[in-house]
Amino acid sequence: MAKAIVVTSGKGGVGKTTTTANLGTGLAQLGHKVCLVDADIGLRNLDVVLGLENRIVFDLVDVVEGNCRVRQALIKDKRFNNLFLLPAAQTREKDAVAPEQMRELIKQLKEEFDFILVDCPAGIEQGFRNAISGADDALIVTTPEVSAVRDADRIIGLLEAAEIYEPKLVVNRIRPDMVRKGDMMSIQDMIDILAIPLIGVVPDDEVIIISTNKGEPVVLEKKSKAGQAYRNIVRRLEGAEVPFLELEDKGVVGRLMSLLGMGNKQ
Amino acid sequence: MIKGDRHGLSLSIAEDVDISEVISQLHNKLSSARNFFSGASVRLIADEREINPQERAEIQKVVQEYGMNLTDDVPEEIEQPVVETEIQPDNTLLIKRTVRSGQKVHYDGNVIIMGDVNPGAEIACSGDILVLGSLRGVAHAGIKGDTQAIVFAFRLEPTQLRIAHFISRAPDGKVPHPLQPEIAEVKDGIIQIKKYNF
Repeated sequence: MAKAIVVTSGKGGVGKTTTTANLGTGLAQLGHKVCLVDADIGLRNLDVVLGLENRIVFDLVDVVEGNCRVRQALIKDKRFNNLFLLPAAQTREKDAVAPEQMRELIKQLKEEFDFILVDCPAGIEQGFRNAISGADDALIVTTPEVSAVRDADRIIGLLEAAEIYEPKLVVNRIRPDMVRKGDMMSIQDMIDILAIPLIGVVPDDEVIIISTNKGEPVVLEKKSKAGQAYRNIVRRLEGAEVPFLELEDKGVVGRLMSLLGMGNKQ
Repeated sequence: MIKGDRHGLSLSIAEDVDISEVISQLHNKLSSARNFFSGASVRLIADEREINPQERAEIQKVVQEYGMNLTDDVPEEIEQPVVETEIQPDNTLLIKRTVRSGQKVHYDGNVIIMGDVNPGAEIACSGDILVLGSLRGVAHAGIKGDTQAIVFAFRLEPTQLRIAHFISRAPDGKVPHPLQPEIAEVKDGIIQIKKYNF
């Protein structure tokens, strides 16, 4: 059964696009047929993060306006034959598409693909309403900041109103050292407020900035902790139970301690 | 002399002033702002000296010249907002979910939330507010003026608390989290929070 998942956050700059690109790539790596839809019309980014910018001919607006067929607008990924991108239009605005048109489009895509990930624009206006229409499920991306969590809470309420229940939480850019010192909100603080299930915690990682700029998703980096975190989320999206990453680098002594059950579990 | 207060304009005349003096002062005052006073009514306050009907007629004539009318000072009752203190127990809204940022519950009666009230959310009702969870948003009990209304929460850490026309907010800076249910009520003219003893 095909699944359409919208990746949203309310606040901008928390990592929706990066998350969409990585989860999509990760799902494709495991053999699923995946379509990524950039719903951020006018401010498209997903193509850049995937390194596919120069291949765009038609876009989402062209499809809904009937200028081309869906297949013509889909761009095949460089690395995986089973990963496709439906890019947003850059020269148009959010009102170029209506929620009913999006719903119809997602329905069409569900016939072809296993997973459809929709990259939602920031905000709660038309762009958001477009992006969530047709979605079966939602991932809420947030960072450990009060403002981001507040916006996430708002989004969860709006999703409920749109009958998308129990979205999953992705906490992005956490810094375990700062959390330990009490300088950053902890995962528990965020879950206390948002009261939705956690699907993944992605540590703050310089590698992400490098990979995003290069257009190569970090999920493919075997050594990166952020990459591992994304791979774990991908497995959880498939329905597998995967334990959460040990984010703290404890060193040899610490690892030995926790092996003996003496370290403080977090 | 002529003054404005929250009931409108009033004219009071001192004990030892001659009526002709009053008339000329009135002319001066009113002509300086001719249109400003037009249409208003002036109450004549005469608690310091007797004003005979003839004097009153003279004042009225001047006042009318400037498009105003004269009324006598009647000690009026201070308006009390009509408060329905008895809210029927069945007039209660039960919400079995978390109220999130941007959501607002407005109700004529009591409100019970089985869940949290998150920052950015707002509960306003004419009766009491009971939150069986954490109250982190804004709560306004007794919106129609009932100062007997209370706000209760398992964890009372609101952004702002209002009961009737009283407002209080959390102190700035870090506040320790409450560890037990608390209740907020108006006492001695301010909102006070105390442990809930059961």
